[in-house]
Amino acid sequence: MDFAQFQQAPVSVPTEHHSHGNRWDPYVDNGGTSLAIAGEDFVVVASDTRQSNGYSINSRYSPKAFELSNGSVLATTGYHADALKLVEHIEQRAQLYFHKHDRAMNVSAMAQMLSGILYSKRFFPYYVFPILSGLDAKGKGAVYTYDPVGNMERVNYQAYGSASALVQPFLDSQVGFKNQRNADPSRLLERPQAVKLAIDAFTGATERDIHTGDWLDLFIIDQDGIHQTKRELKHD
Amino acid sequence: MAPSMESTTGFKFDNVRRNQLLGDKGYKVPTATKTGTTIVGLIFRDGVILGADTRATAGPIVADKNCEKIHYLAPNMYCCGAGTAADTEFTTNMISSQLALHSLSTGREARVVTAMTMLKQYLFKYQGHIGAALVLGGYDVGGPHLFTIYPHGSTDKLPYVTMGSGSLAAMSVFESRWRQGMSREEGIELVKDAIEAGIFNDMGSGSNVDVCVITKGNTEYLRNYARPNERVEKEQSYKFPAGTTEFIVPRPAGVAAGEESTAMDTSA
Amino acid sequence: MSALKPGEVNLGTTIMAVQFDGGVVVGADSRTTTGAYIANRVTDKLTKIHDRIYCCRSGSAADTQAVADIVQYHMQMYTAQHGEAPTVKVAASLFQEICYQNKNNLSAGIIVAGWDERDGASVYNIPLGGSLHREPFAIGGSGSTYIYGYCDKVFRPDLSRDECIEFVKNSVSLAMTRDGSSGGVVRLAVITKDGVERQFVPGDQLPEQYVG
Repeated sequence: MDFAQFQQAPVSVPTEHHSHGNRWDPYVDNGGTSLAIAGEDFVVVASDTRQSNGYSINSRYSPKAFELSNGSVLATTGYHADALKLVEHIEQRAQLYFHKHDRAMNVSAMAQMLSGILYSKRFFPYYVFPILSGLDAKGKGAVYTYDPVGNMERVNYQAYGSASALVQPFLDSQVGFKNQRNADPSRLLERPQAVKLAIDAFTGATERDIHTGDWLDLFIIDQDGIHQTKRELKHD
Repeated sequence: MAPSMESTTGFKFDNVRRNQLLGDKGYKVPTATKTGTTIVGLIFRDGVILGADTRATAGPIVADKNCEKIHYLAPNMYCCGAGTAADTEFTTNMISSQLALHSLSTGREARVVTAMTMLKQYLFKYQGHIGAALVLGGYDVGGPHLFTIYPHGSTDKLPYVTMGSGSLAAMSVFESRWRQGMSREEGIELVKDAIEAGIFNDMGSGSNVDVCVITKGNTEYLRNYARPNERVEKEQSYKFPAGTTEFIVPRPAGVAAGEESTAMDTSA
Repeated sequence: MSALKPGEVNLGTTIMAVQFDGGVVVGADSRTTTGAYIANRVTDKLTKIHDRIYCCRSGSAADTQAVADIVQYHMQMYTAQHGEAPTVKVAASLFQEICYQNKNNLSAGIIVAGWDERDGASVYNIPLGGSLHREPFAIGGSGSTYIYGYCDKVFRPDLSRDECIEFVKNSVSLAMTRDGSSGGVVRLAVITKDGVERQFVPGDQLPEQYVG
């Protein structure tokens, strides 16, 4: 039959098939990027506001960095619904603390508490990568980073999220002064420098990461409180 | 599949067995680069207009911010490609060369249905393993023609078409605004808006709009017809002072001092 | 009998053909889908094989187009070599041969219908496995399951041309409203000794029926 000839390829193609069972999967990665840079007496926190799923944009302005009642800022990435629940969880515990001690939590206490909250859900974690920023007891910029199950570290700067692989090396170079002669890796940035870097990090990430973009929420935390600004990023 | 190992022409499928094994053992199977894309085409009063975005992606990363997705087939025929980047490139190139030979041997301009038939038979032969999703447009003795061709080899003939991950966004524009007998200007504007719908609403698509207008005896390729996504000025410069980089050996053996070198293009 | 491959374009369809004294009426909906997306809402699933032979395609769009193209080619060769038009039976048999020999690689359910000098009007059904059945009328595609009862009740062997047209319009329309994979417009073709007459019923002018 001529059909066989018609269908004949130079070589035959074995079909590939993989059996992946339809397991229950309650998590979604909503993309986006967050970063924080600590200074001597301030912290710069930045998050883009695009919330997405697959190739679709759920929202062009859905903030994922949140001001908390004690004057700190929690920047998140990962699963947005879990991030919202995590903020509620933190604020409930902060409220209890406030009524019990008649003062707001300081940042280091909240940092330790957040670690505990995340670990309390060790076997059904909040799928969130949190960065907690504020001023420590001495008024110095403090940035605490976590993995979803509560492993905590205090750092000078951090980038998390869909463009973290692009932004973190940039911060390593420009904030951490890594791999450079005649540079002091522990030197902290001045405020205008940190803001410029945060902006350039996001305009750059927006160019190359499809999940990052739309708007940039910028927070500067200092002695006077939290100063928030919004900038436009590209929408494509 | 013993014969596949003996073939000296065409594709090699050695890795299929490896991938099967990898997949069965629960490892990640290597995948080809698939371009999230918006490509469109429409018929207007005097011919056909094709459109495409210019973003090429590798997973979540933008691999090329200004690539060309409208491929040349013949002077009177162009073809937009979505799907596996390499497949669209090689498939259109190959059919283009066959069309050139066909024109030479017949002494006539190739017809659009000829290109469509060659493409569909080629893709059908490979049963969807060649991941090329195409929008084919052209003008021949029978007037303007527009087709979509799917990776498995099926074709559709319609007055307005879209394909790629942004096809739904683009089609929503066509379904609400396309009408019979549009002018050239109206057509280009509609194609631009359809592509922009993909650029802004589909994350697989982005950057600029390429347009191609094909009319009787004339083809106009409007590269970067619209550029709605110019990059903003950086806040500061990131030039390192000379001598910043650590080194162990001052200069590798065999490299002359003070040799002129061409600076890498870091614009865009 | 192969299932649809991932990403393959589907003609989740309603197709139909009815024989009457002097001709056949073939009909189809116009919906082509890729998953939940309607890739073409005005598809023509009635494909011309020869001057007075048409086929109705259901299953994979790629497979049925490829098979129809091959049969079309052979019918042209047949005409050139024999100096006369092939019978519907010849076309149907070639369809069957291809569908049967390649049944493991194809998902194609095809109805062949038309008119020829030898047998007059005839309808052949070639379902998924590649068997061949001559029937006075045939229905196929995913939507056909909804109208077996209706068709069996309404069909009579002595239906006139115009009654057949109404029968096809009503049947396809009923299937379209119940089957999510069928929809759009109803396309028809009336094939007689005198030629082919194409008809088209827009989606907003379908026969009146209960719609819930």
